[in-house]
Amino acid sequence: MSAEAHVQARSVLDSAREQLDRAATLINLPPGIHERFREPKRVLTVGIPTTMDDGSIRTFTGYRSQHNMDRGPAKGGIRYHPQVTIEEVIALSMWMTWKCALVDIPYGGGKGGVVCDPGTMSDRELENLTRRFVSELIGMIGPERDIPAPDVNTNERVMAWLMDTYSMQKGYPQPAVVTGKPVALGGSTERGPATGRGCVFTIREIMRRLDMAPDQSRFVVQGFGNAGRAAAHLLAELGPTLIAVSDSSGAIFNERGVDVQAILAHKAETGSVVGFPGADEISQEDIFGIDCEILIPAALEDAIHEDNAGEIKARIIAEAANGPTTPAAEEILNEGGVMVLPDILANAGGVAMSYFEWAQDVQKLIWTGDQINERLERVMVRAVNEVYEMHQRLDCSMRDAAMAVAVGRVAEAAQWRGITP
Amino acid sequence: MTEVADDTSCSTNVLDSALEQLEDVAALVDLHPDVLAKLRVPKRTLTVAVPTRMDDGRLEVFTGIRVQHNMDRGPCKGGIRYHPCVTLDEVTALAMWMTWKCAVVDIPYGGGKGGVICDPTDMSVSELEKMTRRFVSELVEIIGPDQDIPAPDVNTDERVMGWLMDTYSMQKGHSVPAVVTGKPIALGGSLGRAKATGRGIVFVTREALKTRGIPIEGARVAVQGFGKVGGAFAELIEELGARVVAASDVSGGIYKADGLDIAALSEHVQRTRLIEGFDGEYEPISNEDLLALECDVLVPAALENVLTAENAGDVSARMIVEGANGPTTPEANRILLDRGIYLVPDILANAGGVTVSYFEWCQGIQKLFWSEDEVNRRLEDVMVRAYHQVHQRSETLDTDMRNGAMAVAVERVAEAILARGIHP
Repeated sequence: MSAEAHVQARSVLDSAREQLDRAATLINLPPGIHERFREPKRVLTVGIPTTMDDGSIRTFTGYRSQHNMDRGPAKGGIRYHPQVTIEEVIALSMWMTWKCALVDIPYGGGKGGVVCDPGTMSDRELENLTRRFVSELIGMIGPERDIPAPDVNTNERVMAWLMDTYSMQKGYPQPAVVTGKPVALGGSTERGPATGRGCVFTIREIMRRLDMAPDQSRFVVQGFGNAGRAAAHLLAELGPTLIAVSDSSGAIFNERGVDVQAILAHKAETGSVVGFPGADEISQEDIFGIDCEILIPAALEDAIHEDNAGEIKARIIAEAANGPTTPAAEEILNEGGVMVLPDILANAGGVAMSYFEWAQDVQKLIWTGDQINERLERVMVRAVNEVYEMHQRLDCSMRDAAMAVAVGRVAEAAQWRGITP
Repeated sequence: MTEVADDTSCSTNVLDSALEQLEDVAALVDLHPDVLAKLRVPKRTLTVAVPTRMDDGRLEVFTGIRVQHNMDRGPCKGGIRYHPCVTLDEVTALAMWMTWKCAVVDIPYGGGKGGVICDPTDMSVSELEKMTRRFVSELVEIIGPDQDIPAPDVNTDERVMGWLMDTYSMQKGHSVPAVVTGKPIALGGSLGRAKATGRGIVFVTREALKTRGIPIEGARVAVQGFGKVGGAFAELIEELGARVVAASDVSGGIYKADGLDIAALSEHVQRTRLIEGFDGEYEPISNEDLLALECDVLVPAALENVLTAENAGDVSARMIVEGANGPTTPEANRILLDRGIYLVPDILANAGGVTVSYFEWCQGIQKLFWSEDEVNRRLEDVMVRAYHQVHQRSETLDTDMRNGAMAVAVERVAEAILARGIHP
């Protein structure tokens, strides 16, 4: 997810709760469970005194929210951003609960954040901040409790500092406390393309369900970052033709098809898709109106909104990004018969991969790349088909169906466990 | 099926006969006296008061017990039962049997057992939940994924295991699914658990038929008890080509010479819980006649003590596979042996249940869950290996399969004890 993509924090939590309310109605969630799911299990706010390079001490604010742990330890990223708020962190932890439950990995949802502007901080300052934040979280996180991961403005280096700080306090190496680590510290070799790969499994299963012929399908990728590039490359291998791509600098289009390897090479070389010789340049906004079968929004939130939703001609939209479709846009798409494969399903390959990383660290046995990808395929295929069947049974959108599957699954665990004491 | 063990729950001599069994096998395999001394006594016994606020506001104090018989091969494993006749002696004997059962199939556990003296049929769900949570709180220091892993038993089920898991997890501050097995799937229960015991009996029966030179295709099977264990066994053995010619439960028995329609019968029993009223082709048969039926395999899969000194002389099966716990009395056992009837004993034949419990625990620990196929495949490996080890040991000792199973189990525990030595 990108740093620029921030909506009003208060409304994020409101809309997370609204989504839950909707699912609750759909599946007749018992009121006691519903009320419990509206609130996080536990939220910690900490002050993070940090020595800056000029010798001064600044105190940042950090949060960690554990929304639910009925199905297992909490799982979710840590983001560094000036606009982080406690409400946003809570809402994101709630979404993680649903995402993990949807793909049936044994996790609850968590999320963390520090209110800071990493763009203005040195590496040393970021490291100081990270290590102190982790020290404050120490009683709350752990391989059995809560396993952070990278998020906005955090990366494998930050995860390595986290792993090191935690391990030093425990007195022994504890790689399973965090995922998204460097491979050298027990990270997963297949992590890079995981989100894109999961998205392509989702598309493949839905094409099969809808009887779409891969060879006659055309697709468009909006956003050519990690997820978008992997999705383009892997989907093209299954037969569909890539016809347009956009990134933050511009967009290109060729109705006869864009050579995926060539555009990947061009992007790697120049940093952008603009100026690619094998296609015409178009505006970033025009990409939504292109006649195609599959549209993959893989960039920012709210890319598909009220004003452009009506132009979309695709049959399916696979949300590789988080929240690329506004609720108003989704209504328009639903009415127009466009099937939206929701983010908590279409981009769950990332967290599934995180789960595999953790499972390997916990069992102290490292899998081959093929084993990892086979398992990813099994997890995604099962989840997509469960959601599709729910969609047919409840006669609702795929997003509602995904929420129904996810919330129902967490509710089942919560009911079995009951309330202590 | 949970009432199955009730009959003997109040019997007084279970510990005596468990000790007798141990001493018999000790003599048979010339067990080191130090080992025998250690195994005669449970490692640890905890008795706790379980104060429980009842629905009418009164406080009732129940007594709860957990016995850890042996932990030389791994953490303790064994169920928790709720019953008015639970006694310390009974729990101790059952814990000891769990040690042998885990050892005979070579899963890395010692034996444990627990119980609360209470009458669950007389308690509300909320009272049961409060009692369970308090009992677990009292056990919290002696149970755990690396120490002692409870499971369902008489009058306890997956719901009780869910409460146990939740209470323990809340005290630890994080989810600990591996503290208990027999959980709901939603909390980390294993696929394949429901039919595990029946499936295990099938694997053992298949191997036993092979050993005895009886083709499984067309083999005539009689099943006494058509509950979770007997029903699953009948379904699965039929898939391998055998004919289930007779089945019975508390409501009566049915017989058909060329094989009952097991799929239809299972569907009927699942719906109505009883064989009675089954709408298929059959002749009625009494329980006694079923036990005396001429067949290849007789599987008592219900109560204890169904084969006794009185009816053992009438048994006309070529082979008995004990699906239930203790279906054969010691006198009956002697008579059957004298008559040359091959018998596969309970601690081997019905160990499929505890084996899949072990798989559930493994999956909880490694946080990675297996498909049902994988669970079944692994179960097959364990049961087939165990059967042949017991068969071989009974041949080298020139004894029967029950003695052979006890010998394999006790020797395996003894080896661990001797290798570890006595601390300090």
